[in-house]
Amino acid sequence: MSGSAAALLPGRCQWRLAAADIVAVAERDALGTTARLAVWPASALPAAAGAVDSELDRLDRAASRFRPDSEVSRLHAMGGGPVDVSDALAEAIGIALAAAEWSGGLSDPALGAALVALGYDRDFAEVPRDRWDDTDALAPARLWQAWRSIRLTGCRVQVPAGVVLDLGATAKGLGADWSADAAMRASGCGGVVVSLGGDVAVAGESPRGGWPVLVADDHRLRARPAPARAATQLIRLSRGGLATSSITCRQWRRSGRTLHHIIDPRTGLPATGPWRTVSVAAATCADANAASTAAIVAGSAAPQWLGDRDIPARLVDRGGRVLHTGGWPVSDGGVLRPPEQRWLQLPAGLPRRIGGSRDPS
Amino acid sequence: MHGYEDAGLRRLDEPAGTGQASDSAAMRHAVERRDTGRRQTRRISGWAAAGLVAGVAAGAGYFAHAVPPAAVSTSSTAVQGTPGTAGQKPTLTHPVVTSGGSGVVAGTSGGSATSTGGSPASGSTVQWQDN
Repeated sequence: MSGSAAALLPGRCQWRLAAADIVAVAERDALGTTARLAVWPASALPAAAGAVDSELDRLDRAASRFRPDSEVSRLHAMGGGPVDVSDALAEAIGIALAAAEWSGGLSDPALGAALVALGYDRDFAEVPRDRWDDTDALAPARLWQAWRSIRLTGCRVQVPAGVVLDLGATAKGLGADWSADAAMRASGCGGVVVSLGGDVAVAGESPRGGWPVLVADDHRLRARPAPARAATQLIRLSRGGLATSSITCRQWRRSGRTLHHIIDPRTGLPATGPWRTVSVAAATCADANAASTAAIVAGSAAPQWLGDRDIPARLVDRGGRVLHTGGWPVSDGGVLRPPEQRWLQLPAGLPRRIGGSRDPS
Repeated sequence: MHGYEDAGLRRLDEPAGTGQASDSAAMRHAVERRDTGRRQTRRISGWAAAGLVAGVAAGAGYFAHAVPPAAVSTSSTAVQGTPGTAGQKPTLTHPVVTSGGSGVVAGTSGGSATSTGGSPASGSTVQWQDN
């Protein structure tokens, strides 16, 4: 893959790409969404892209519930016994469980059965956008606190029969963290930013003033047309991660009801709170991802929940009103300063793996 | 409902017992189809250059013309840097990534923002913003 990335660089100006002040930006489809990579100097792009490919492939093979050959699919098929899994899946599950503990269950990795019952049982691109069938399928699933029944000791995991893992609340953030770190190590670049479906991680040194990041409902928005300008914000990010959860994406209709993919574990149904989009900055993108999901689920209690923890967040309600907490910059172009302390701690015996190496911190 | 089965420790690559042969064949078939699709997809999509952003204003213009059009994503945006010196950190004025929800927009995004201010929350660090 690094070869194809290299082919993207115009050969006749390769000499110029070594200049430190040139940033290369590339993107690809990945994990049912878009991965976007920006790196400086531009000559580091092929190595960085290859490293990101490896991390995305590792995450997909470990944690995708849509691949029959993924580790998590085989884990479900084994019916509840203890199983030794890869470092990657162990870390993904460990982070998801840590997020559940930290958020009091608002971010929950055991909601896969609810999503399947609602019709999100395949790659989202293949989910019927409007399906009419037995409305009993929308009966609430009893999943509250089911995540507590999952056991993880080192790389040994036990998922009870009937519990279906969905690591979506943290896995993309974790993948962005892995990818940014791996790109930095592999390419020796000055700095890199990786966005995985709008969940953003940075590594190395940022451009002067920080990486400019647009915050919006949809991660695919590139420009800021006048009608949408009020709903977006430009911020600058120099370290850590930034994640956005939104109910405006991944929507579908079933039996006349509009559904989305952020499930409230207390009901087993899509969250019904006032927020359409929540963005959070944190020490890592996985941390930010957990908090943004939890805030959507927390509903009207989210501002208090975020404010009490001094979490930098930007909340957009269904009417478009914007609320900031925890020092999130109010002005357009403001500098976003994520907290340095990680919120999610892996269980003892499972050091955090970053970019193919062990980080005991 | 969530009780554990009384099963011994297994590894994911172990066979799971009777009836596994047909399941394995079906899985192999599914994996082959998927891998074939992935290879085809990679050949078609892979990474697409979305832009080269120059910290030197003159360079930005040069690369905007030098990048072959076929290699540039249709979603690329022209991102301009500000003048700097080669060998220094770049300075960017336009966003290179967007943090937002993933997936397909279903019509609720956009600038419907209207605000009158005021906060429904009591958190001391909360600020409302009018749009």
